[in-house]
Amino acid sequence: MSTSQAIYAGWMEIPTSAVNDETRLHAEDAALAALVDEYAGALYRVAYSVLRNPADAEDAVQEAFLRVLRHRDSLGEVRDHRVWLIRIVWNIVLDRKRRAKSRPETDDVEELARVLPSTGLTAEEVAVAAQHHARVLACVDRLPTKERQVLVLSAFEELTSVEIASVLGITESSVRSRLFRARNLMAGLLDHQRSLR
Amino acid sequence: MNSNPHNPKISASAPGTAYGSGDETLRLIASLPAPAGLEGRVHRALHVRSGQARVLGWPKRLNPQTGWMRSAAAAAIVFVVVGGGWGVYTRVAHNQPARIIVMPARMPAAGGFSSLGAMRTPQTLPGPVITHPTKSHPTVMKGRKPVTSLKSTGSEGHPTAAAKSAAQSGAGR
Repeated sequence: MSTSQAIYAGWMEIPTSAVNDETRLHAEDAALAALVDEYAGALYRVAYSVLRNPADAEDAVQEAFLRVLRHRDSLGEVRDHRVWLIRIVWNIVLDRKRRAKSRPETDDVEELARVLPSTGLTAEEVAVAAQHHARVLACVDRLPTKERQVLVLSAFEELTSVEIASVLGITESSVRSRLFRARNLMAGLLDHQRSLR
Repeated sequence: MNSNPHNPKISASAPGTAYGSGDETLRLIASLPAPAGLEGRVHRALHVRSGQARVLGWPKRLNPQTGWMRSAAAAAIVFVVVGGGWGVYTRVAHNQPARIIVMPARMPAAGGFSSLGAMRTPQTLPGPVITHPTKSHPTVMKGRKPVTSLKSTGSEGHPTAAAKSAAQSGAGR
């Protein structure tokens, strides 16, 4: 059981009538702080995988936790905080991406070369790898929305297909079929790019 | 490559396939570390917002959770509802007598047909029925003139009705 779950399990056992407001607020603040410590990193990675901009991703994480702060009264009713938080940040980043469609993508090679790990690689290798990743991400952006969303979320090792289905609000079989289609489409797009070179 | 221990089926992308490298890129992006101090910045943002929320919140004396505030709110609601109902009640007049609406006289259209001042006469009710039988040969009183045939042979015992119906049928032609 995670820290936040333990806190909420303990908090829920206390009868509400016996707890005064100050104590309740303090318990909620502590639970929220535990959620931040535990899941801020994961939420950042989810946000970054869609927005691909460190500042935007961090803003999205902050906004997600601010939403949690607004609805902290209902925190005790949440079964899986991790999936719930990922769903919140997912909706936020999709909304931001929709609104900022006019803004150019930040998938430039230099940015990727700066962000992606490059331990033991020469400068030239880093540049080549960054170019390759930029091409792959461009292909991902050309996928249909439904397939792209499943593909991006499937890259997170901590998310199962059931959890991806929960985040996207679809069935697990839909996740699998969309992922299958997405991979086939990606293979076709990458083959096409290779043949052009 | 089977790098998702939670979900082996969905993470399986065969190495060497065209998509293998694409999967690798997405995993690389997905496994990027969060920037240092992210949690601290989020904590600070939450603290600032939380403080603002408390400043804007209800003062303790007017806390809506307290009993007297709830009672006052309930009383205010009852007052508004009853007052509104009373206002409506006093504005609506009860048992008003039926208003007689005088219809304007219908003017005939220019060039159209007119009624030539004919008046509609409603059908009158049938007259009283004579219960006792009349004599077939009434005795003629001495010194009196006999009753005219028009009066004695009125339809259904009501002389005026017969006359009126006759007049109507004549006017209708």
